[in-house]
Amino acid sequence: MLSIEENQLLTKTGPGTPMGELFRRFWLPALIPNELTPDGVPVRLRIMNEDLVAFRDTDGRVGIIDAFCPHKLAPLFFGRNEESGLRCVYHGWKYDVDGNCVEMANEPPENRFQDKVKIKAYPTEEWGGLIWIYMGPENLKPELPQFEWARVPESHRHLARWLQQTNYAQGMEGEIDTSHISFLHGGLTPYLRDNPDKRPTQQGATRNLALVDGAPKLTLNRTDYGFVYGARRDTGNGDYYWRVTQWLFPMYSMIAGFQWPRGGRAWVPIDDENTSVFGYNYNPEAPLTEEQIELIESGRAFPPRVERGKHELKDGYVIDHNLGVANKGNDYLIDRDMQRTDNYTGIWGINEQDRGLQEGMGRTVNRSREHLGTADHATITARRLLLRMAQELQEGTEPAIANQGDLYRVRSMDIVSPEGDFQKFMDVFTDEAKAKA
Amino acid sequence: MLTKEDNELLTQTGPGTPMGELFRRFWMPALLAEDLPHPDCDPVRIRIMSEDMVAFRDTDGNVGVIDTHCPHRRASLFFGRNEECGLRCVYHGWKFDVNGNCVDMPSEPAESNFKDKVKIKAYPAKEYGSCIWVYMGPAELQPELPEFEWARVPDANRVVTRFIQHSNFMQATEGEIDSSHVSFLHSVFDLSIDYHRDMRTGDQKEGRNSVLSYKFGAPQLTVKETDYGLTYGSRRGPEEGSYYWRVTQWMLPMFSLIPGPAWPRGGRGWVPVDDEHIITYQYSYNAERSLTDAERARAIDSMELERVKYTLPDGVIIDTNRSVRAPENDYLIDREMQRTQNYTGIPFGRHQDFAMTDSMGSISDRTKEHLGTSDTAIIAARRIMLKAVRDLQEGVEPYAASHPEVFHVRALDIVSSEGDFVKLLEADGEKTLADV
Repeated sequence: MLSIEENQLLTKTGPGTPMGELFRRFWLPALIPNELTPDGVPVRLRIMNEDLVAFRDTDGRVGIIDAFCPHKLAPLFFGRNEESGLRCVYHGWKYDVDGNCVEMANEPPENRFQDKVKIKAYPTEEWGGLIWIYMGPENLKPELPQFEWARVPESHRHLARWLQQTNYAQGMEGEIDTSHISFLHGGLTPYLRDNPDKRPTQQGATRNLALVDGAPKLTLNRTDYGFVYGARRDTGNGDYYWRVTQWLFPMYSMIAGFQWPRGGRAWVPIDDENTSVFGYNYNPEAPLTEEQIELIESGRAFPPRVERGKHELKDGYVIDHNLGVANKGNDYLIDRDMQRTDNYTGIWGINEQDRGLQEGMGRTVNRSREHLGTADHATITARRLLLRMAQELQEGTEPAIANQGDLYRVRSMDIVSPEGDFQKFMDVFTDEAKAKA
Repeated sequence: MLTKEDNELLTQTGPGTPMGELFRRFWMPALLAEDLPHPDCDPVRIRIMSEDMVAFRDTDGNVGVIDTHCPHRRASLFFGRNEECGLRCVYHGWKFDVNGNCVDMPSEPAESNFKDKVKIKAYPAKEYGSCIWVYMGPAELQPELPEFEWARVPDANRVVTRFIQHSNFMQATEGEIDSSHVSFLHSVFDLSIDYHRDMRTGDQKEGRNSVLSYKFGAPQLTVKETDYGLTYGSRRGPEEGSYYWRVTQWMLPMFSLIPGPAWPRGGRGWVPVDDEHIITYQYSYNAERSLTDAERARAIDSMELERVKYTLPDGVIIDTNRSVRAPENDYLIDREMQRTQNYTGIPFGRHQDFAMTDSMGSISDRTKEHLGTSDTAIIAARRIMLKAVRDLQEGVEPYAASHPEVFHVRALDIVSSEGDFVKLLEADGEKTLADV
């Protein structure tokens, strides 16, 4: 439970908010590279309440600049992307990827007005299968987080971006909430209880063992990058099923899986009520096979089935995004007959299940009215760490982790072991938790 | 005309508002019984007086109306599993019975007693008169159900429809006690046919009285305050020595009985969804015999309803019926029909009302209206409501809420030589009493 004030502190990331300032100390995922082509159609973005337009210029460089031309605030989405710049079609003002006004065709050249006008432009990097953006103070530009999925060869990973219509925090909290997989993603229905032969052997990369014990015991180790926790479930035959999950500042996850590819998600605020989710799946040992990519893109391995589309936000601003085929407007295509038999939710797809429940909480869940138990230990800790770090930044302490990109080189784990103590377990499997790339 | 403050007092029914408190002293229709057709059926999303809830019928047939949001992490229970005597949140498996007890919490250790400490908000629910009723007020003040005749006749004698309207409850309710609009809004040009004629099918109801409505557009209203609200007589004529009287019942906090020359007749209950939407319960019944299939079909089909997931402005979705005639399509107005056949170009009476009360804006600005003598009943109803609200704020409970027998009345549609309402009631008053 949080107070109303703490909940606001946690969830608001617009310019000038404490959490917004903290997030602006990190590089953040902004786009998938193939969303932009040289001289192609610009893409409308909103990141942390700032309206932006992204384009790839003639030379392949990426610009992410203010969505509105500084002249009369006309939308640059309608602009002409040509000859190494984006030109506003209203009066012909043109900008390069760094935000310089390189032409101001409707003013006399002798005025040199164009040298006095700049458009807001943020630094970008194309790296690790993503286009990254840095929206913080120029002199504090940090290191890119050296995730293993970003360091492996291009062929070894798959990245996806999609829209979730909630605040970032409630999606992120789903990542570190191990007990829900025993219910939402694979709960035993009365039908399956009474028909054991109909039970699935696994759910995505999750072992069916998660179903055996729905009340896991969590042990959490605080780290410089966030925390790692072990969720221990009794297998019923003397062994323990350990799911070890990484949570990394400010909103990344590495989710346990017993086979490759596996991955996690980044939760980038669009505004306080919408989030761009970036899903990564990778195999450090080999390129993803066509079959694996097909599986990922079919919606069976977390990224949802999507359609490219325009999405109008509450204030009328339109963004370009990948929109879930199953969504709030169609109740996530819930099938109540399926729910009565062999699927706990009646909703097809892991992400669809998560998104259905999280969006159903309301855009920003009222955390003053929740009831958290011992299974919510990791959620409680992530909130506390973020709130403290935001508070410390307000008091002048910069987040050290923003400049320690190498600390992000960790892995999640999914292991069955007779060891019941988390610290001893981690001693045994130290190497397994380290990235190799 | 009201002040801005009184208009807010009259129209706001969310938790903690004065009018909301008054409404919460009464049982309210929450759904039709048929919306929860069988044990373990799909849950249904509702909002009543700005509270989001989910309704379900458990394995034993008991109805639960509980908070939409699971108290754990506030996920929506609409997606829940309704099975084995409870609704189970599919996020972490917490399960609740119809009384709001947490009966299973499988994500916490078996030895934990957290389950016993968590309750979900649950309101008492009863099935009565083809509706599911909910009581959202203080437990110690829970009254008996109101003794409406339409709810007490056998099921076969009654039909109830349920649909959403796009305005505050009060401006729609005021249409019920506004006799003079019948002479205009609902009129047709050929006076040889009844105003109840369905312009699409040509079906006519019996009776000639309402023809008189068109002839006399300026009825004289006499209001009588009662224990349950008010009754008023609307007098038209005289013609050939007789007056046409329409005697309407308006019952706290927002129910009506509308006069009609013949059975079936009925009225409406206007349940606030929030301050800008209502779910209307439209009841039609015959006190003397069961309805024919044709009567039942007419009551339902004329509304042109479809089942929808309706997205409210704040993004919350509710499950309801909605007329295909809606604000976004101008209620499918037919201007040629308006020129040649009827006053509005909208064929059916209820949709004519929709167009008027929706178009006032979601909450009518009563500081800008101009009321005349034909609005006497509306003025009286507001005064009664505002007085009841202020009384409750001072600790005086509404009498009608705890006296369900006061609702034992009927509307009356009669032609009489008597020109005085008090004397009319002395002579024909027993006709305004319910049989059952």
